[in-house]
Amino acid sequence: MAFSTTVSQRKHIKRKAPRGFLKHVFKRQKPHLRLETSGDLLVHLNCLLFVRRLAEESRMNAFESKCGVIKKEHVQAAAKLFFSPTQPELRGMKENC
Amino acid sequence: MAEAMAESYNRDSEPTTRTLLRRVLDTADTRTPRRRRSARVRRLSSPTKMNVRRRSHRARSIGRLAHVHTSGNLEEQTPRTLLKNILLTAPESSVMMPESVVKPVPTPQVVQSSRRESSRGSLELQLPELEPPTTLALGLLAPGRRKQRQRLSVFQQGMDQGLPLSQEPRGNGSASSLTSSLNLTFATPLQPQSVQRPGLARRPPTRRAVDVGAFLQDLRDTSLALASPGDSLRTPVATLPTDTVLEDTQPFSQPLIGRSPSVYHSLPCLSHTEAEDAERAVSHRIQSSGPRLQNHNPGKPTQLLAGKAKKVDALAVSFPNNSSAVSGEDGVEPLQDGVGEEAEERMEESLSVSKVMATTGTQGSVRMEKSKGHREMTEAAEAKEPEGSSGASPELASSTTEFLQARQPQFLEPAPPPSTAVLSSEPLEPLSTRLPPRARTPGPRARTPGPRPRQDPHKTGLSHYVKLFSFYAKMPMEKAALEMVEKCLFYPNPFGSLDKYFQHLCDDLEVFAAHAGRKTVRPEDLELLMRRQGLVNDQVSLHVLVERHLPLEYRQLLIPCAFSGNSVFPAQ
Repeated sequence: MAFSTTVSQRKHIKRKAPRGFLKHVFKRQKPHLRLETSGDLLVHLNCLLFVRRLAEESRMNAFESKCGVIKKEHVQAAAKLFFSPTQPELRGMKENC
Repeated sequence: MAEAMAESYNRDSEPTTRTLLRRVLDTADTRTPRRRRSARVRRLSSPTKMNVRRRSHRARSIGRLAHVHTSGNLEEQTPRTLLKNILLTAPESSVMMPESVVKPVPTPQVVQSSRRESSRGSLELQLPELEPPTTLALGLLAPGRRKQRQRLSVFQQGMDQGLPLSQEPRGNGSASSLTSSLNLTFATPLQPQSVQRPGLARRPPTRRAVDVGAFLQDLRDTSLALASPGDSLRTPVATLPTDTVLEDTQPFSQPLIGRSPSVYHSLPCLSHTEAEDAERAVSHRIQSSGPRLQNHNPGKPTQLLAGKAKKVDALAVSFPNNSSAVSGEDGVEPLQDGVGEEAEERMEESLSVSKVMATTGTQGSVRMEKSKGHREMTEAAEAKEPEGSSGASPELASSTTEFLQARQPQFLEPAPPPSTAVLSSEPLEPLSTRLPPRARTPGPRARTPGPRPRQDPHKTGLSHYVKLFSFYAKMPMEKAALEMVEKCLFYPNPFGSLDKYFQHLCDDLEVFAAHAGRKTVRPEDLELLMRRQGLVNDQVSLHVLVERHLPLEYRQLLIPCAFSGNSVFPAQ
């Protein structure tokens, strides 16, 4: 995977992890559990990778439908892949990795 | 060896360093224990002596010394050490010591200077060992051609002036001639040039008058622009610098540490106005001699502010000195951020205290807040505190507020936070530039009411990931698509009863932790999760992913690394 440290877009992507947000979400979901200090960074990493996969998948969907713009349906289709039974997802992920 | 010696003598016409070295080598070789010392030494010392005597009166003594020392210290000398000494003392240019310079140097100085030079020449070796090689060198150099006589004399003078500064004051300037003859590299080599060619001198960097106000304003602008998007990062992680520097530098890391001494060094060079401001801040603190606690609290932020201002402006002053403007900015920003963060917390405490104090109506806090809020929150200040409380003190502190104002002009623009206590907000505002964008999302802070602050960090956190999605997609996206992404991330799937990403995540983590019999989710659970997802496998480890995708600071927090002192961070 090509990983670029420089942001060439006009949008400035912040690389900070919204740790408070993550901790907050986790607390809301599982108040009886505790999250360790660096655990939320790994959660952030997981989110990053998830979002990346989702974006690539939806991009491919958009290409297939010959659209220049990513539409809602593309994203939905990509999401279905992720949240449906995991077998096809695993296959897709192994390709990505 | 005789022919070698003859060779070296024939090469008198071009005495370069190379020939010198060769000469030394030739002479030095004979002194190794491997060769027959006695014969060689005798043979060599006499030609050496002859050679020396031929040239100068000083050289003779050198030769004598050399003879004495060579016979005495044969064991300690090796060609290697000799070479090292020669290399250390070898002239950078091929300038040879002319006789005119050599002669005036009296003999007793030779020993002294040679000793001094030797001590300087090779700090590792012991003193007595160095004398023969240096004297040898002298002896060899002395018969050299007198090139650039004029230059050397000038250089010598320059060395005389320069040496007491650069070298340890072990001797007097008399030895400088000796060292000058050998063009010691320890002294700054540029000095002689500067004497002859003033144009090449290293000028002290011209400090142009930095427009402090504009500079600080720019700093504030950039730091604001790069400030976190409104989520409450009040954890210690918040000391991390802004994102542009996240991968490049650490907060308060070495570059900054290297800079902070320069900051403190340039503190004395601060402009007079800043010193005055500091004085005023001090006097202001002294003046507000109300209750000690209350004095302490306004004093602290003022001190912080003054310190911050000093640091900022010291950096501004040293700005032209720094070669890299970017690093300067980066250094200032994290400094400000970090100091601002601490200041924030302190201001929080002082907030509550000052609230109490405000009710009692003590002068110091009034002055404090009034002075701070004087410029920024004029309406609030007038509404809150009696204006006539102190006409003098605002002027005193106004100088500090001018500072603050120059640095934080944006306070006028953002609307005052909807806090009931404007008084409390006044000291808060000038301190933290990041607060205005984040003041609307205080979340955990109890004093701001309303559902809006509670939603905001949530929204901003989510939008962070949505933005990342659009970034990774590299294609234009519909707004509906972005909303879809948001739904994917957090909200339950409308199609069916499937939970969405975060919920999935939390459930899985709970299961893993429970499986391990724990109530705390640890990084191992995360790793297992990623393994199950297929992100981590035998080819790709978690650390690799961390390195690839996370910025440097997080990597240091996550991947244990060994540091000096037999310590590993983070501790395992």
